[in-house]
Amino acid sequence: MRILIADDELISRRLLEKTLQRAGYEVTAVENGRLAADGLCKPQGPRLALLDWIMPELDGPGVCREVRKRKDQSYVYMILLTSKEKKEDVVAGLESGADDYLTKPFDPEELKARLRTGTRILDLEDRLIEAREQMRFQATHDALTSLWNRGVMMELLARELTRSRREGKCTAILLGDIDHFKNVNDTYGHLAGDEVLKETARRLVSSVRSYDFVGRFGGEEFLVTLNNCDPAFGLARAEKIRKTIADHPIETSAGLISVSMSFGLLLSQEWGYQSVVELLHEVDTALYGAKSAGRNCVKVATSNRQRDDSVEMAPELMRRRQ
Amino acid sequence: MTKCAIDFHELLARVENDRELMQDLLSIFQEEFPQRYLALREAVELLDATRVVLEAHALKGMLSNLAAGEAAAASAELERLGRNKETAKFHESFANFENIAKELSRQVTAYMAEVSG
Repeated sequence: MRILIADDELISRRLLEKTLQRAGYEVTAVENGRLAADGLCKPQGPRLALLDWIMPELDGPGVCREVRKRKDQSYVYMILLTSKEKKEDVVAGLESGADDYLTKPFDPEELKARLRTGTRILDLEDRLIEAREQMRFQATHDALTSLWNRGVMMELLARELTRSRREGKCTAILLGDIDHFKNVNDTYGHLAGDEVLKETARRLVSSVRSYDFVGRFGGEEFLVTLNNCDPAFGLARAEKIRKTIADHPIETSAGLISVSMSFGLLLSQEWGYQSVVELLHEVDTALYGAKSAGRNCVKVATSNRQRDDSVEMAPELMRRRQ
Repeated sequence: MTKCAIDFHELLARVENDRELMQDLLSIFQEEFPQRYLALREAVELLDATRVVLEAHALKGMLSNLAAGEAAAASAELERLGRNKETAKFHESFANFENIAKELSRQVTAYMAEVSG
């Protein structure tokens, strides 16, 4: 654990430094409050601090106040070192944001015990942050594939469409469905089915750029957005993604399983100011077209004027999910 | 018999029996103390209560860490006088501190000469 000590008095500083190094701390020692505040406020700075009360430039309580002003970084546990023993002094020190105080000259065992208290509190904060991050991940990601979930994909897509319209760029929306997935589950079991879904997700992610989005949209249905996509290459990129799935069988605990995907593709710049729901409806219609055309292919969504009559029916009802 | 200006038993406990560290601290004292002492003397001569508080406070911290209890108490008294602006008592209090400090310095020098062989 890293710790910052700030004391203008050299003997005190050396004594603290050695005592804490022996106790296993990684020590940074500074001689005034200004250096202490700067060190504690920088990103990835120490999270434990021992601050002398009276120091040049900025006193201990001043350092505490400055550190507490930051809201965006990890908690810093600060102990004031003081020869002040009056109740009002102690209250003032704690009011400034210090977590504890220690009277000088300090007893090494008491010092270490108080620092252990600080470490426990910081550990608790770490665990709380980890739990919060886990909950945030669970709320935004699909549990099986770790891809973005449907709700987040809708938000990301809406944001991306707004951006691409503002900048006159194109977003390619790709809705894919694993062909005959029900057969996979029926033939190889649900465990193998899950492995297929996970590997499909992995391949989809690996086949797009870091700033594209991939999400699980439903059971065996995946949504990919190719952001800032040159419309001339939209279909080629979709084909490449399709081949990533179809060209190599997936290794599962039940053996190798060959799967393919059908895709609907929509290039946003050809659709003006339609809503996310409307565009998803159109790309779903194109996906239905791909299924109808024999599967394992990509069909581009066309506007009402160009649309083939054969795909002009309610896709959710008509498409067979297998 | 001369009274021991430093409680070595307490100092050793404070450095967790690290004799090398103890010598290091005493060596720092030998380097730092004369400047601090002169700064305090100057503040006393000028009857500058604010500076007396600052210098006496710094000396108190240094001496407390070395378990030099009597010298720390003498500097604490000067700090108290400075806070209360009792400038008339500065010289008498400083004279007391000076006597204690001289003996402390003598003992530290003797100890360091002994340990360095």
